[in-house]
Parts: sequence; C-alpha cells; structure tokens
Amino acid sequence: MPQYSLYQEESQPSPWQRTWEEFRASHIAFTGLIILTLFFFIALFAPIVAPYDPLQQNIDVLLVPPSWESNGTITHLFGTDALGRDVFSRIMVGCRVTFGSSILLVLIAMLIGVTVGTIAGMTSGVRSSVINHTLDALMAIPTLLIAIIIVAVLGSGLVNSMWAITLALIPQFIHHTRAFVRSEMKKEYILASRLDGATSKQLFFHSILPNMIEMLVVQGSLALSIAVIDISALGFLNLGAQPPLPELGVILADGLDVAYIAPWNTALPGLTIFLMVLAINIVGDGLRSALRKRLSH
Amino acid sequence: MNKGFHWVLGVCLVLTLQACNDSKRDAFYRSGIIYCSESNPVNFNPQTDTSSTTADATAHQLYDRLMDFDAETGQIIPSIASSWKVSDDGLVYTFQLKKGVTFHTTAYFTPTRTLNADDIIFSINRWRDPTNPYHNISGGRYPYFESLGLAKNIAEVNRINSYRIEIVIKQKDSSFLANLASDFSIILSAEYADYLLNQGTPERIDDFPIGTGPFKFQSYRKDHYIRFEKHNDYWGDTSLTSDHLIYDITPKSSIRLAKLITGECDAIAFPAQTELEIIRNREELALSEKPGLNVGFWAFNTKKYPFNNPKVRKALALAIDKNTLLEAVYFESATRAKTLLPNASWAFQSDAEDTAYNPVLARELLDEAGVAPGFTMSIWAMPVERAYNPNATKMAELIQRYLSAVGIQANIVTYDWTTFRRHLREGRHDSVLIGWSADNGDPDNFYRPLLSCSAIPSGTNRAMWCNKRYDQLIDEALQTQNTQRRKAIYEQVNRLIYDELPLVPIAHAYRYQAYRKDLKGMVINPYGGIRFVGVTKVQ
Amino acid sequence: MIKILIRYTILFVMTLLVLAALSFSLAYLFPGDVLVNLSGITPHNDAQRAALMRQFQLDEPYIFQFIHYVSELLQGNWGYSFVSGLPLREEIGIAMPATIELSAYALFIALVVGVPLGCFAGLRSYSKSDYIINSASMVSYSFPVFWLALVFILIFSLEMGIAPLSGRLSLLFDVPDKTGFILLDIILAKNIDSSLALGDALKHLILPTISIALISTASMIRLTRRSVIDVLNSPYIAAAESRGLSKSQIFFRHILRNALLPILPLMAIQITTLMTNAMIVETLFSWPGIGNWLIQAIYQRDYPALRIGMLAVATVVVSFTILIDLFNRFIDPSREKYERATV
Repeated sequence: MPQYSLYQEESQPSPWQRTWEEFRASHIAFTGLIILTLFFFIALFAPIVAPYDPLQQNIDVLLVPPSWESNGTITHLFGTDALGRDVFSRIMVGCRVTFGSSILLVLIAMLIGVTVGTIAGMTSGVRSSVINHTLDALMAIPTLLIAIIIVAVLGSGLVNSMWAITLALIPQFIHHTRAFVRSEMKKEYILASRLDGATSKQLFFHSILPNMIEMLVVQGSLALSIAVIDISALGFLNLGAQPPLPELGVILADGLDVAYIAPWNTALPGLTIFLMVLAINIVGDGLRSALRKRLSH
Repeated sequence: MNKGFHWVLGVCLVLTLQACNDSKRDAFYRSGIIYCSESNPVNFNPQTDTSSTTADATAHQLYDRLMDFDAETGQIIPSIASSWKVSDDGLVYTFQLKKGVTFHTTAYFTPTRTLNADDIIFSINRWRDPTNPYHNISGGRYPYFESLGLAKNIAEVNRINSYRIEIVIKQKDSSFLANLASDFSIILSAEYADYLLNQGTPERIDDFPIGTGPFKFQSYRKDHYIRFEKHNDYWGDTSLTSDHLIYDITPKSSIRLAKLITGECDAIAFPAQTELEIIRNREELALSEKPGLNVGFWAFNTKKYPFNNPKVRKALALAIDKNTLLEAVYFESATRAKTLLPNASWAFQSDAEDTAYNPVLARELLDEAGVAPGFTMSIWAMPVERAYNPNATKMAELIQRYLSAVGIQANIVTYDWTTFRRHLREGRHDSVLIGWSADNGDPDNFYRPLLSCSAIPSGTNRAMWCNKRYDQLIDEALQTQNTQRRKAIYEQVNRLIYDELPLVPIAHAYRYQAYRKDLKGMVINPYGGIRFVGVTKVQ
Repeated sequence: MIKILIRYTILFVMTLLVLAALSFSLAYLFPGDVLVNLSGITPHNDAQRAALMRQFQLDEPYIFQFIHYVSELLQGNWGYSFVSGLPLREEIGIAMPATIELSAYALFIALVVGVPLGCFAGLRSYSKSDYIINSASMVSYSFPVFWLALVFILIFSLEMGIAPLSGRLSLLFDVPDKTGFILLDIILAKNIDSSLALGDALKHLILPTISIALISTASMIRLTRRSVIDVLNSPYIAAAESRGLSKSQIFFRHILRNALLPILPLMAIQITTLMTNAMIVETLFSWPGIGNWLIQAIYQRDYPALRIGMLAVATVVVSFTILIDLFNRFIDPSREKYERATV
C-alpha cells in the first residue's frame, strides 16, 4: 500500500473518524483521554501492578509518610495507613473497584434504559401521559435516598449500592432513548426502510441503533462521572462498599480517623476520585463539542 | 469567580462589624462550657445502665451519692451522707445525712422540701425492691446492682429519723461502701416520684430528671445536644462553676478533636490514642492522664458451639499477638493485660500467667477440638471509642488477619451503640471486642460484673460464662476482710480464668482528658465519670 | 391554563399516592415486625399487640390497610421513632427546614454567581476569559462534595480558624425551634443577643453553603454558557445585529430571555443534585438536617423513621420538581415537557 495519496479530498472520513479528528484537535480533551485510559489500565491490571497486597497489614510500618516527604520511604510510594497497608496499592485496587463497578453499572443501566426507551419510543398507542409524568417525577428522587432504602431492605454492600445507582441512572437513558427514537422514527430514511418491509427489529438494529451510539457514548460518559461520585459517596458514608474492601470512598473514610497525623490518607484517595471524575468529564465534554463541531460543519 | 469573591468579602465585613463589640461577645462565650461527648445517653438515670456514656452525662452533673471517692487517694469521703458507722459484725450500716440539700427547681417540677431519708430509701428501693412502683419503669433492669448481687444482699433499708437511715445486709461485703459511692448509686427525689405517679406519667422520671447535683437538666435532643444549667442552691461550693453546661454529642473522635482545636468544644471525651501527640503539641490544648481502672478484652460467647469448648477459646487466644494489638491500637498508651485487674488495683498479681502468641499450637488445638480450617465466626467490634478500646474495628481487622493465618474466617460485625448492646445482651455474637471501666478500685468490681453467673441476665457478662467454682471463689473473697487473704483468693480466680479463658484480657489503658487551656478546674477522677463542678472558662 | 393546572394537580396527587404506596410497602419490605415498622411502638404484651393491630387495621386486606395508612398520614399521625420514641412528625419538622434552608442559600449563590458568569462566558465564547471560566467550572464540577467539604474544613477551620465546622449555631445560644429556619428562629427568639447570634449563625453557614454552592454554581455556569452560545448562533441575533441594535440592547432584549428560558426546566434536575449534596455535606458539618437524620436512622436501623423520612424527602423533591415544571409550562407553553440537564 502506498503511504501517500495524491487525491486527499477523495478520502471520505466516516462520521466517527471526523469526530475523532475534532476530538484530537483539543489538547485538553486528549490529555483527559490519556488519563482516563491510564485509569482504565489500572482498573484492569491493578492486582498485577500493585506492589503490595492491599489488605496486607504490616505492623512495622504504621503511618509511614509518602515518599516525597522527608521521612518517607521509597518502598511505600504513597505511604501507609493506620494498619500498615500500602496506600499506593490500596488506591490502585480502589480505582479498580470504584471505576470498574461504575463502568459495569453504567452498562447495565444503559442496556435496561435503551431497551425500555426503545419500546416506549417505537410503539405508539394509548399511553397515559399521567403515568409518564408520574414516572418522571419519581425519577427525581435522589440516589442517596434510593441507596438508603436499599441498604435498609437488603443490607449494605458494594453490590447493593450498585443497584441503587443503576436504578437512579436508568431513567435518563430511557428518557434520551425515547426522545431519540421518536424523532428518528419521523425521518425519511426510516420511512423508506419501512416501505421496504423492514420489521421493527430490523429497523432498530440496522437503522436506529447505529445512529444512536454517539448519543449513548455522550450520555454514558455523563452517567459514568455520576456513578463514580455516587459509588464513592456511598462508600464514604458506610452505606456502600464495606471495609476492608479498598473502595476509594471507603479508603477516604478510613483515613478520616488519622486525618491529622496522616493527612495523605484522606488527601490521596480524594484526589484520585477527583482526577477520575475530572478526566471523565473532560473526555465527555470534548466528545460533545467534537460532535457539535462535526454537525455544524 | 469575581462575584463569589465579593460575596465572601461581604460576609467577612459583616463578621468584622460583629467583632466590634468584643467584650460583650467574650463574656457570652465564657458563660458556658461545651463538652463534646461520644454518644447518646440511654436515659438520665445511671442506675438503669452501666455504660460510661450515661454515667458521664448524669452521675456527677445531675446527682449526688451518699459518698464519693477522693480523686487523689481513692478514699471514700462524705457526700450526701455526712458520716456513717458500720456495726461490729459488718452487717449494719448507719448513715447520717446532710441537712438543707436542695433538689432542682425546673420548668417541669418545683420541689417543696429538701432532701431527707425518704429520698435515700426510695432511691435504693427502686433497684432493690421489685414491688416498688418504679422498679419496672425504663425496662426494670439495674445491671450494676444485679451484676454485683447488691440487690439480693440487702435485707432491709430502715428510716431511723428524717436524716438518719440504716441498711442491713445479709452477708458481709467488704466492697459495700465502695459500691454505694460508685457512679450508679445516685440519689433520686421521692417527692418527684410521687408527683409523677399522681400525674400518671412515672416513665418521665428517667427522661426529665430531678436530682441534687450541681447542674440541672434543661433539654436534650438525641444525636445533637444535652443542655444543663447551674443549680444555684447546690449544697457544695459552686462559686467557680460555669452557668451553663452543654454536651455536644459528636460520635467521631477526629471531629471531636477538630472541634476542640477550633474552640467549638472546651473539653472532649476519649481523645483517640493517635491524636494525643497533636494535643500535646498544641499550645492552647491541655492533656491530663492517669492510669485507668479498666480492661479491654475479647470475649467469646461460651453458650455457642464451638466456643463452649475451652480448647477452642485457648486456641483463639494463642492465635493473636497481643503486643501487636497494643502497639497498633493503643499506640503505647496502655499496658498489656494478663488478668482482669489493672496494676492500679491493690489486688494486682504481677506474676499471673498469660497466653503467648503461638499460631502453630493454636491450629493444633483447633484440630483437636474438631474445628476444621475454613470455619467462619463473627467478631463484634463496638462502635464507640473507649479508653479500654479506642478503635475496636481496627483491632477486629487485625484479629481477622491473625485468625485467617490459622484457617479461621472472621466477619466483623458492628452496629450503632444502642443496637449493638441490645443484640449483645441477646447473645447473638460469637465473640466481641469490648471492655470494662470500673467504678471503684475494688477487685470485686471487675470479677463479679464481668464473669459471674448473675451478670449474664444483667448483660455485663459478655462471655455468657457461668462457673460455679468461680462464683464461690469471688463470694468467698468478698467475705474476707484481710486484704492479703483476699488477694490470695483472687490469684486462684486468675488461675481459673487462665485455664478456662472465657475472655482474653488485652489491655489496661490510661485515661486521658483533653481540654482547652482556658478551662480551669478540670480534674480526672480515676474512680468514676467526668465531673464539671468547679470548672470555669477564664480569659 | 386551567387545563394545565388540573393536569398537574392530578399528576401531583398521583405521584404522592405512588410515594405513599412505596413507603407503605417498605413497612413490609424492611426486616423485622411490620407492626413495629409501621407504628414505631414495640408492644409489650399480646393485648397491646392486638390493640395496635386493630388500630392499624393490619388484620384487614392490604388495600384497606393502605387507605388507613394514607388517612393517618394526612391527619399527621406519622408514627414514632423506634430509637428515640419521639413522634416522627416533630423530628422531621425540625430536620427538614434545616436542609431546605441550606439548599436555598446554596441555590441562591449558584444563581447569583452562576448565571452572570455563564452569560459572560457565553458572550465571549472561545476567548481567553471564557476558557478560564469554563475550565474552572469543569474543575469544580468534578469535586466529590464530601472531599471538598473535608478540604474546606481542613483549610478554613483547622488551619486558618475562620469558620466553625459543626452545627448551625454555637450551642451556647439556646434558640427554640419555632420555624426550623435558624435565621428566622434567631430573630423570633427572646432572651438572646440576636446580633451576636446572627453573626455566629452566618459563620456556621459559610463552609457548608459554599461546599454545596461551588458544585451547583459550576453546573449553572455551564448550562447558561451553552444556552447563550446556542442563542447567539440563531438567525434572529444576526437579524438584530444587522438592524443595528447595540450590544447591550441585543443582550437584554434577545439573548438573556431566550437563553434563560431553556435553563429553567433544567433546574428541576439541579434540585435533586443540590439536595443530595446538601444531605451528604450535612453529615460532615453535623448540620441538623434531614440527610444527617436519615443517615443516623439507617445506622441505627430505625425503620419507622426511614419509612417516613424517605416519604418526606421524596415529597419535597418531587414537589419542587413539579412546581418548576409547572412554572415552566406557564411561561413557555410551547415546550412539551421538561428536559434533562446536560451539563
């Protein structure tokens, strides 16, 4: 294959490629993506990469300061906590727990939301707007409240808190999918395939879904940042993941007990959550403006 | 963020203007003491509860006792009783009462008379006599008195005249006076009790308390605060006592310390061991310490399989390294416990036997007892900090690791304090990390409530352990006046506990009190709860 | 107009009924005794138990139980806390206003700071100042609120000693709870130096309010900015420019109104976020609000309290949401439904 082409204008980049070009043009968005990828790899490979077992207590190295402080050691990069556990390893595994469970629950919420939203959008018929409205109003109930109720019924734990957040995220996927499917159903290309005799199933998988993916990526990134914050908030409030499971919010709450003598135990996990959410938001924002630019061209 | 900045500036301006009338403000902030306590009291009557939270909030603030302990020497000194006499056979105690001791006048009750013999008789009969109309109010449990067998040992309480009473006991009890001087033996108002009975609301007696103490009750909001006001007609000296006393209920020790630093609290309960250094280093804070009369331990529920087998208990005791627990949890503010008694007690046995860390032997013993690897048990970790165990959850996590090394999987269980103790009393635990703070220096105050049979229903025997020989020995000790002979009996008791190990004693902790330096008059009394009489805020 | 009003009233009542049904079913879903979960009273003997069963009509079919439950709710008999034994209505009556008060101040700041900054950034879109504002809002939007509050406590309370970190008034002031709103209560209270108390209350307000407001302000800025940019790109602005209207005329006549209209419905979702953040922050600042109260209730497994607390919070949030929605329908009938925010 020749590495050059004389007729550049002949190449027709796909919409995806064009979005990617726009996205890459923004340095900030690109940096965000790199950080996010880093988190992703940490989440995937934390148990292999982490220098210590995150649960391994070591009584000889209680509350060792991080390596950049004068009395820190290089063997414990981020220092140790009140039980002598290595903070760096804990945060790495914490990323895995927090980030991993957030991605998982966003995917579940997306799957359910898209299914319900598509059915609602494609079928037309007698639908009481009161029921729709009531559902919408109920969706305004805060995640924290749903989580508290689930904890009261089922007990606390990471999985239960994931259910609570999934429940809270589903409505927005339903909402966006329904709106998208409805507006799409009115378009000519759908009408054309319909006249060709396509079934609803074919319509959805061949015509609507490919067009919906961008919307889903954008909505998914928004949901992901909410999920990360909520998972760690519930862990922090002792309503979600339970110690000794190294979830970032739990690590932060653990560190509170020694906040004065070992501030890195609260500062570092908090900073990690913040960076993770920031990276997700920057990428989401970059994606949206890239999409917007592509559409306006 | 320009506008935001202006807004902040505006608020700052308002605050600066506020600061102008400084002197008035300072006088106001000096008018009361805020004490950050660790938890909600169960109610306002320490007779009904042994937790030090309830005692700290009530015993020395709202009430008085017949006698008190001298903070320095531990000697019993007069309080409501100005003098007392013990008969030669040691069975009849006669108390002469002070005159002119006034009860609190509050929004909900106005007393018409001062304290007399009726009040003492009522206060004792409430826990002693099941036919007393108040006996069953607030649950009808008097754990302190039940666990010591005090109620059963009193034959009669007689009124000789208005200011003199006589108590006849059945068996000699060398710790009787000490028990009556403890935090729990408080004096209630018989007149108030009658008044409430007439009103048909006797249950109010423990929620809207009337006592003779230096402070009177104003209001209480669960999880938030308790307000007290100075009792101006107090019989003792209150010239140096603050006008207001407020308990700010703050369960997290790190937040208590933060509030002490910002000056939102003037004194705090149970500073965490990790934070002591910070308190010592800060100029405006003071820390006083004394060896405490307490013991932190790990108790097994001996009613449950396989913990009913002493071999299993021994194995579990061998599986943990106490020295590590001491280092990691108490940060060298405690001494290793071999027996129940701390070395501050006169009956302390320095050469007592102790379990040593030996996981190999532990595993062997478990195999012998038929406990297979992979066995699952629960460790209950109390949710509040106590001097005897400043961080039970952390200790539980450490023990969890030790147990997994001998093939036992442990789950850590914890609830809110009230719920926690309710479930403990019902015996739902496999093992629990908890402890005991004694109310007086008498050894019986450790041995009887912690492990005697009668302490099971009263809920202080966390091991649910009942042993006839143990009960015989401690009864025998109580009837022995000679301290050397008594001590010898307690050495036999220690041997028995070591053989049976219903609980593993872990530590005896120091007692700390942290407060701001502008608080004058704070004294730690090792015998009993915190007291605020004679404490003021100065400039 | 009346048709809309009727529709929304039906919607409101329906939603409340669904919520009441949820809260009723919680009594069965929660662990433990249904009777205790409903009443908060632990019966001491069988006779008392039978009496309570009759009182709550637990021996009848579910539908009658539910009707009875709703009528009790309406009469204000909300049951008792299992832990403290106090009537729940009283407890919520104290806790709820504290949360609403805190959220209201934060919302006020978010509007007063966020909207002008958002307009400013939108008008100068893709300039340096827009870039700074936009990045700053992105950063503050990404803070986990519990960590932000901790950082604030560390810096402003412990290091600098500017603001206190717990409660909403020094406990030395004995202010009775009349309205539940602390500033009002101080003004209504007798026997205290109200200027001193107001100063103290403001100091207590600063940190929790700013912690919540920072995040809400950031989303407000982003919403406004986006909306202003969208309006700027619309043809009528170009038309107005070509007619020679001055910049300020265009801004006030065309941009502001048209940019703010689509933001209003998005506020509905903001209310939920705001309340959630307020509830989390309350636990850190020991603010005596409903979030703190609910979390204490879950730690203590106080099921009657959770059942009613959930109903109360959901009712408040849903009422605000529907009110905003309704308001939006009145001023902009062309919109079909409220939309969800994209920050």
